[in-house]
Amino acid sequence: MNSEEKFDVIIVGGGPSGLGAAYMLAKYGFNILVIERGGRIGSKNIFGGRIYSYAFKKIIDDFEKDAPIERWVRKERLSLMNDTDALTLELSVGNEYNNSFTTYLSTFLRWLAKRVEDLGAFILTGVKVDKLLIEDGKVTGVLADGDRFKANVVIDAEGINPILIRDARFREDWKPHEVAVGVKEVIKLPKNVIEERLNLGDDEGVAQLFIGYPTKYLPGGGFLYTNKETINIGIVVRLDHAIKNRISIYDLAEDFRQHPYIKNIVKGGSVIEYAAHLVPEVPQYNLDKLYGDGLLVVGDAAGFVLNMGFTIRGVDLAFWSGILAAEAVKKAHDEGKYTKETLSVYKTLLKDSFIIKEMQLHSKIPSILGNASLYDNYVKGIIDVLKNIYAIDDNPKKISKLMIDILHKHDLTLIDLMKDLLTVFMNV
Amino acid sequence: MSEKRLSVEERLGLNSFVIDKEPHIKVKYEVCRSCPEKPCLYVCPAHLYTLDQQGNLHFNYEGCLECGTCRIACPYGAVEWNYPKGGKGIHYQFE
Repeated sequence: MNSEEKFDVIIVGGGPSGLGAAYMLAKYGFNILVIERGGRIGSKNIFGGRIYSYAFKKIIDDFEKDAPIERWVRKERLSLMNDTDALTLELSVGNEYNNSFTTYLSTFLRWLAKRVEDLGAFILTGVKVDKLLIEDGKVTGVLADGDRFKANVVIDAEGINPILIRDARFREDWKPHEVAVGVKEVIKLPKNVIEERLNLGDDEGVAQLFIGYPTKYLPGGGFLYTNKETINIGIVVRLDHAIKNRISIYDLAEDFRQHPYIKNIVKGGSVIEYAAHLVPEVPQYNLDKLYGDGLLVVGDAAGFVLNMGFTIRGVDLAFWSGILAAEAVKKAHDEGKYTKETLSVYKTLLKDSFIIKEMQLHSKIPSILGNASLYDNYVKGIIDVLKNIYAIDDNPKKISKLMIDILHKHDLTLIDLMKDLLTVFMNV
Repeated sequence: MSEKRLSVEERLGLNSFVIDKEPHIKVKYEVCRSCPEKPCLYVCPAHLYTLDQQGNLHFNYEGCLECGTCRIACPYGAVEWNYPKGGKGIHYQFE
């Protein structure tokens, strides 16, 4: 490729947000280049295990028929877990319910990249962008492996580590309280074993979140997702709490896998991969930091993740932010220039989209989820209450008194419980 | 095999890496010497930061999962963090 060639748009990063932007821009007929540092698309991408499909269905007509879907999530489980026990709530929906699915993100992204290339875009893999080229405060391209690539607009989809925009002083790096560390193991098991153990039909999957033990009772949680022949287990823990409590993060995944509840599910399976990735926890709401002269920021680099405690969304929001960035480029193109002013339409598009509406509706969630006792005495206390209610012996007991006594043992009162429940209810 | 607890080294051994000759992360050890907390020792998911018997910090970039945790956790900015060169580093296959 001739490095003197100038593109309409250069997209840094071939993840869900970068490819979303590329797909839409290629569809509009822009001359674009995607630069991906991984040796192949998807080799640097990690997620928990599930994708919500609505955003993709809006853009890609034959999405459900053609995308590499492993299993449709038809069982949602939320578990409180202590050192030995688990208390689980399960929503099991009938078939034909295709709201979210599990997949290998790498396979999924390669499928998406193929679609992007079919539309005429260039994707360069195994090339790292070293810095943004800036002339008179305007981003004019990138420097990658010593070559200069010029463009009217650069879309930064570099991911959770915002090195390029940090070095260009567009934003500051994350602070420990703004991110969580995720670790994950992929465990291989025969298809029928997964289906029998988790009560799943042929193309059905489970998405399960765990609170308590997986994070050593700190803010965050554990997860389990099923593919056809693998189970993903992992833990996401807030970095500030992990630092303060000196948590050995490298041990978390194995501690979780050795828990009696998980051990039975993955028995006989082989761990085939171990991964780690950061997750934005407290989104940076400053939308004015997501655009500049010749620059737009999308996906994890923009902090678009929504953690509601019982659902976690990242890939759909990343993809959609890419779509909106593409719309912004088109509008700026129609105006005839790619200045900070014309590209600020990205902010308007974001504000009008479900991404920001949803984040604003739930803006108090991060602080509620930061309440440390949710992960500690609540988990332990509630499991203890249920365990005692279900335990029968020759010692008759009144359930209400039992509840109050046990909650008290865990430094909880019924009033606290009601108050915290109400706080959660008022903010979801 | 899976019933056995796997050390972090054993788990890293399952991953595929294309190792560069040059480290992509540089640690300013002179800063670490006066760091009392050393959160890197426990927050790195690959356990790549260790102490020797003399109490000196060591870092091995070869098993790096490229998450960025060490950079953000370091209270003194001693971790000069960058992505590995194009095509180098961790090569995830089952994510």
